Amino acid sequence: MAECLDFESLVTRYYEPLYKFAFSLARDESDACDLTQQTFCIWAAKGHQLRDPSKVKTWLFTTLHREFLGIRRKQTRFPHVELDQAEPELPVVSPAAISRHDTAHVLAALARLDEIYQAPVALFYLQDCSYNEIAEILQVPLGTVKSRLARGISRLQKLLGDETGGPRPEQTRL
Amino acid sequence: MTVTEAKAILLLYRPGTADAEDPQIAGALTLAKREPELARWLEDHCARQEALRAKFRKITVPAGLKEQIISEQAARIVTLSRHRRNTVFAALAALAAVVILLIVMSSSWLPRRQIEDNTLAIYRNQMAGVALRGYGMDLTTNDPAPIRAYLVQKQAPSDFVLSAALQKAAVTGCAVEGWQNVKVSMICFRTGRPLPPNQSSDLWLFVVDRASLKDAPENGQLRIAANKGLITAVWTQGDKVYLLGTEGDESTIRKFL
Repeated sequence: MAECLDFESLVTRYYEPLYKFAFSLARDESDACDLTQQTFCIWAAKGHQLRDPSKVKTWLFTTLHREFLGIRRKQTRFPHVELDQAEPELPVVSPAAISRHDTAHVLAALARLDEIYQAPVALFYLQDCSYNEIAEILQVPLGTVKSRLARGISRLQKLLGDETGGPRPEQTRL
Repeated sequence: MTVTEAKAILLLYRPGTADAEDPQIAGALTLAKREPELARWLEDHCARQEALRAKFRKITVPAGLKEQIISEQAARIVTLSRHRRNTVFAALAALAAVVILLIVMSSSWLPRRQIEDNTLAIYRNQMAGVALRGYGMDLTTNDPAPIRAYLVQKQAPSDFVLSAALQKAAVTGCAVEGWQNVKVSMICFRTGRPLPPNQSSDLWLFVVDRASLKDAPENGQLRIAANKGLITAVWTQGDKVYLLGTEGDESTIRKFL
């Protein structure tokens, strides 16, 4: 437990995944650094309140996400695209089309998703968290996480497919 | 499980992760091995997932971020401890300032008041007021011995010297008065003149330590003054200052000196 709660060890273990999560949300290096640093700063102040050391990872990701949402709500400068709640068709974009996008483009498309989809999709692709951990981080039921992931992934691929231009690949009905 | 259901399940499948251990995903993967269409869809899906995953993998962490987080936290702790130390120091400094202020006030203002009030004129005025406005005798007696004994007991001036005229005057009692935190012995006499029914004395001698007056008369010097209807005579003898008062004029008081 002491090892888990040691500040330096904690930073060493989690600063990279936290930064990547922060960057995928904020899309700005400076903002991502600030979010990561702020997360550890909050940990230093309040981490002792955490009883279960096995929850450190989800606590850190949850805190970072909350900080991000708090900042974004203050700034209200991030536009997002409202899409239909129902997504009956899965747009199929070819792997090659995705490869033509750079990371910034993909993250820009992620940022255009509705807020509730951004964090789960980012955590999904960063592959540092299981579904259960994503559910814990976002503090929503596992089923909700899975449905948000399904919609978020579909919409992200649709956005990327739309931006690729040219003839759309086939669309498959689920 | 249908192919459509399997696609919905496999949409969340991340190749190379523990997702395959999920029972639903494991079932869908099993189905994909039997269904060529699903197998092709899965192959494309995995390629898309990997392509997207590659984009997220390209997010690079700035060099020095870890060291920055650790060093800034260390600096924060130092700042906090310095802030706490400064807060404690500030509280102690404020306390010290209050103490110094109180000391200054008590050593300058209050003593100045004492010094300013410590004059013969004020003393004379105040004792005349005691005699005229009424007083309660602590001890009523016509015997001088119990009066001295009482004053000794009360640690008030008791080794006073009486003039021959006062020794002959009829003593009626005594009281201990206070003045500037110093005890004053008050010995009451009768001049022999007729007194109103509620009055037992008409001649009063006040004795106080000389040190309590900043402008006490020199030895052998007599100061006679009228105060509030009383005629008073003040003189110093030894370490005591005597104040004698009665109604009348200077000739009246001089009869008892």
